[in-house]
Amino acid sequence: MNFFRKWAFASAAAVALAAPAQADTTYNIASLADFTGPYADVMKDLAGSRHSAVAWWNAEVGKELGVTLAIKDYDHRYDAAQVASLWPGIKAELNPIIALGVGAPDATALAGRLPSDGIPLIMSTAGYGFGWKPDPWVFNPRATYAHEAAAFFEWYRKEKGIEGPLKIAVITSEASPAYVDIGKGIEKYAHGATDQVELVEMVFTEVQPTDLTTQLNRVLKKGAQVIDVQTNTAAVVAAKRALQALGRSDVPIVMSSHNGITASARALGGMAELEGDYEVYGMAMPTDEATEPKKFYDKLKADYAMQGAWTVPTVMGLNQTLVALRAIEAAAKKVGPDKVTGQAVRDALLSNTITSAQTFGVLSDVTYTNEAPFPTSGITVNVGTVKDGKYVTAADGVAVPTIEKW
Amino acid sequence: MSEVLNYMINGALVGLLYSLVAMGFVVIYRASKVFNFAQGELVVFGGFLVWWMVVSLGLPLWIGLPLAFVLAALFGLLIERIFFSRLVGESVFAMVMVTIGLLILMRGLILLLFGPQVRPFPIIFPLQPVIIGDILIPRALLIGGIITTVVGFALSWFFNKTRPGLKLTAVAEDHQVAISMGISVKRSVAFAWVLGSVLSTLGAIIYLSGKSLSFLASEIGIAALPVALLAGFESIAGVLLAGIIVGTIQGLVTAYLDPVVGGSVGMVFPMIVMLLILFIRPTGMFGWKTVERV
Repeated sequence: MNFFRKWAFASAAAVALAAPAQADTTYNIASLADFTGPYADVMKDLAGSRHSAVAWWNAEVGKELGVTLAIKDYDHRYDAAQVASLWPGIKAELNPIIALGVGAPDATALAGRLPSDGIPLIMSTAGYGFGWKPDPWVFNPRATYAHEAAAFFEWYRKEKGIEGPLKIAVITSEASPAYVDIGKGIEKYAHGATDQVELVEMVFTEVQPTDLTTQLNRVLKKGAQVIDVQTNTAAVVAAKRALQALGRSDVPIVMSSHNGITASARALGGMAELEGDYEVYGMAMPTDEATEPKKFYDKLKADYAMQGAWTVPTVMGLNQTLVALRAIEAAAKKVGPDKVTGQAVRDALLSNTITSAQTFGVLSDVTYTNEAPFPTSGITVNVGTVKDGKYVTAADGVAVPTIEKW
Repeated sequence: MSEVLNYMINGALVGLLYSLVAMGFVVIYRASKVFNFAQGELVVFGGFLVWWMVVSLGLPLWIGLPLAFVLAALFGLLIERIFFSRLVGESVFAMVMVTIGLLILMRGLILLLFGPQVRPFPIIFPLQPVIIGDILIPRALLIGGIITTVVGFALSWFFNKTRPGLKLTAVAEDHQVAISMGISVKRSVAFAWVLGSVLSTLGAIIYLSGKSLSFLASEIGIAALPVALLAGFESIAGVLLAGIIVGTIQGLVTAYLDPVVGGSVGMVFPMIVMLLILFIRPTGMFGWKTVERV
């Protein structure tokens, strides 16, 4: 009996001594989401990919570092007022070292207070010109929509062997500051790259256009060779119907991620409707091709309870989460696993390049500077299209040109 | 010159579409003196009914569209039964507040029933535009304009020449007086909501044919507002004229001022014109003049 008692005591002591070496420091991530607002339909994919990416990181990276991450969703209905009212509670409850946002309401409500709270926010979308300010605490993993469109214009012009500048028309709306910003950015780019593009007209329309036949007829008469629609799917549908009505299948539409090919095809009633049209953005495209990002997604699906399907919102969730995770990783290595703070994570974002390999090809190399909340150089975009009714990659790794600040 | 004509014709046709939606405002206002803030939501709901019948259930247009109209009528009746039949005799303010509540409720209901996804709306009218020389007219808007004109004159005749229509007009004058004359105000109000709901569904069909449908389509309610205000809320035929005026101005401003100014002046300008007219004539162009007898 005495022997057993001694043995049990010795075993307990050994476990107790070993315990500190194995104990992880747990940090929290605030996951801002929209389960009941306008993006409720895609939130399962976006939030699901955040959770599975964190699970992967905990198991394969954090374990070695001695760091565990917990993530909690907060439904803000894509409403800036709701974000502002939720935020004090999130801070008190979670004390997060980083937050993941959905879109403009998060940035609008929190940009002013994040520096004093010491918590960086990583968005899932491309950036905006109005957010182009120094000392950022809100970060976008992609350059602005205008940067992405500019990369497409230059690629398309070269691809088609167009001698003079590519004539473009932009369909936008004043319904949202983000939509206006896309137009302004493209305008700025066009002014500085007259050898590459000629902006024939910027068409302002309603958020749900009544009819674009007259406007499209006008810009086609001016020689537009590409129609840029980076606002919403309703505008893509209206532009497509106008082109069909005018019998012009030779002029493609270029879309972005949030209103891209799969979303717009659903709104039009089929993928074939967008034959020969394009989408462009600085992250992986969820096509059926066997790419590195798809392999990573399959791994998350098989081993880490990935809830989202292989869609654009899933990739958006992955891109922001991977940037956040790699920044936390770099911070933990720099300051020690038990000393990670929001400030340390921000410092890591600004002092490290997150390589494409670190994001399994979901993003190109991402380097932040103190001058902008998004990467402005050394980035690339991918171009998707519909070929023979199938959603495929048209080009990857297309360089993004430099655009002056607007 | 042909370009100006093109913008004017297209603008007028868009304006007639606004007139159709504005007729929904007017018929409800005429029967109950209520400005229905949820008019845009009625359009969206009507649109979703069409989508449900034609796209989701796969019914042919000749069955799906009439069924959508029947369901829209029933929905209009339901709204009146649940909310407005209890408010006869109450203040106009109370009823207007209920329409704001209805707007919020309908947004939630649409999201609950159909979800927030953008849906493909069936192609009701052919896409190919009508081309006359240099003038290009979108076919859906042209057919819509003809339907709106016919409906507008038919409703105008109904309200001004037929016995049931004149009863509704009496209800619009004063609920208490109408009751004292043996006219059923509740039945009149119910009819107005049924008609308003059916007109909204017709508006959705013309507006959305071949396009996409989401709750954002309710914006047409706001676009139709200056038309209803300019007409004066009481005249159906006046709504047609107001629609043509607003649409033509909007078309010309969008074509010639927007590219210069670089913004949605076309969307703001009708509001400015409307305000100017209302400063001069607060009852609108065709609003009833109330004669006070001492």
